[in-house]
Amino acid sequence: MPYYIGDVIKDSKKLIARTPEKFEETGIQVKLNTRVEGIGVDEGIVLLAGGERIPYDVLVLATGAVPTLPNIPGTDLDGVFVLKNLRDGLNIKEYIKSNQCSKATIVGAGFIAMEMGEALKSRGLDTRIVYRGELPVKKWDPAFSTVVLEELTNNGVTFMAHQSPVAVERGAQTRLSLVTDKEKIDTDIIIFALGVKPETNLAREAGLAVGESGAIRVDSSQRTSREEIFSAGDCCESYHRVSKRWVHIPLGDIANKQGRVAGRNIGGYPLTFLGVVGAQSFKVFGLEVAMTGLDEREAQRSGYAPAGTIIWGRSAAASMGEGHRLGLKLIADKASGKLLGAQAVGQSGAVGRINTLSACLWSGMGLDELGYLDLAYSPPFGGSWDIIHTAAHVLKKQL
Amino acid sequence: MNRKLVIVGGGAGGASAAAEAKRRDPSLDVTMLEGGEFVSYAA
Repeated sequence: MPYYIGDVIKDSKKLIARTPEKFEETGIQVKLNTRVEGIGVDEGIVLLAGGERIPYDVLVLATGAVPTLPNIPGTDLDGVFVLKNLRDGLNIKEYIKSNQCSKATIVGAGFIAMEMGEALKSRGLDTRIVYRGELPVKKWDPAFSTVVLEELTNNGVTFMAHQSPVAVERGAQTRLSLVTDKEKIDTDIIIFALGVKPETNLAREAGLAVGESGAIRVDSSQRTSREEIFSAGDCCESYHRVSKRWVHIPLGDIANKQGRVAGRNIGGYPLTFLGVVGAQSFKVFGLEVAMTGLDEREAQRSGYAPAGTIIWGRSAAASMGEGHRLGLKLIADKASGKLLGAQAVGQSGAVGRINTLSACLWSGMGLDELGYLDLAYSPPFGGSWDIIHTAAHVLKKQL
Repeated sequence: MNRKLVIVGGGAGGASAAAEAKRRDPSLDVTMLEGGEFVSYAA
């Protein structure tokens, strides 16, 4: 959606995988603008806002996640947005156009904030990111977050660290102003990108089990604690193959897979969802940023003894004199030598390395195997010893 | 009577579940309920 707002995707129809008409053609009835008020698990009915009762034999809860808004005055003012669904995306783009916005403020510094920073800046808006911490994308090692910060700054996005919003007010010169604990920021539009929480109200009221992560508990067939109720997407947990815990990772690719697995089990073709390793990536201006698995803190919490190392190399062989600076961090378990996580940043080659390392994590590889992994070598894409090999060798010596 | 499947939520998870269940068992009576005005969209 940030790419629609940034005009990279011009037609909002391209964001829709399947229209309601397509669903109806295949015999699926779609009811839009239909709010569900409750579930009667004993009778097997879904209660709609208008009082209508819809009976079910099998139910899927795909209630998604709700964006976090800070508890401060003024967030209901015109021009204050979150980015959660397609409606938000359409509204943001329309608001910028019809009000000829020239100043934008994003609150938060996760990957959505980064993508929105790029989108709004490339639309020509004077763009600021306000964050309570020191560096953006705190899930990544500070060495990599620093590179992300430089990329923002080099592309004209202002990063305002150590500031928390306390109020949104109507502005004088601009449409709005964001009051923080440090200053007053003039802006025409404010986007809160502070993450999401799983929407579990219906599930809780129906007495379904909710996991430690706060999301709906499911098993590997996407079944909830009730036999006839399944769940898929941002509202439910997924099994993390490295931490061996059930976690909440609200990402669209995971939702698609969970939905399809639920559908197969409901349709009589049993399939288990084998879980996730925590792979994710984003682009900010010219930079690829990606990670997979656990960071040291998460690894420790999961009972590992993690060690990590950062290697700086290039995305092409030195002999080519080309390629870009590429940073790779590997994290492994001191006791077993197994890979636990990886992070990468660079203008090219970062996402490819992380995808490879995700497959390694999936199959439980150790550093010895990683150090001699057969990769698709060619000078334009890396050295004969890839940065993955080098990092594995270096980290192995440190264990 | 055909088995009734009700899906609450038409985002990626709900839309995928609806489509796949109906594909695997065409006899299912499937209803997808969505609070907003769009289903099956990319975030």
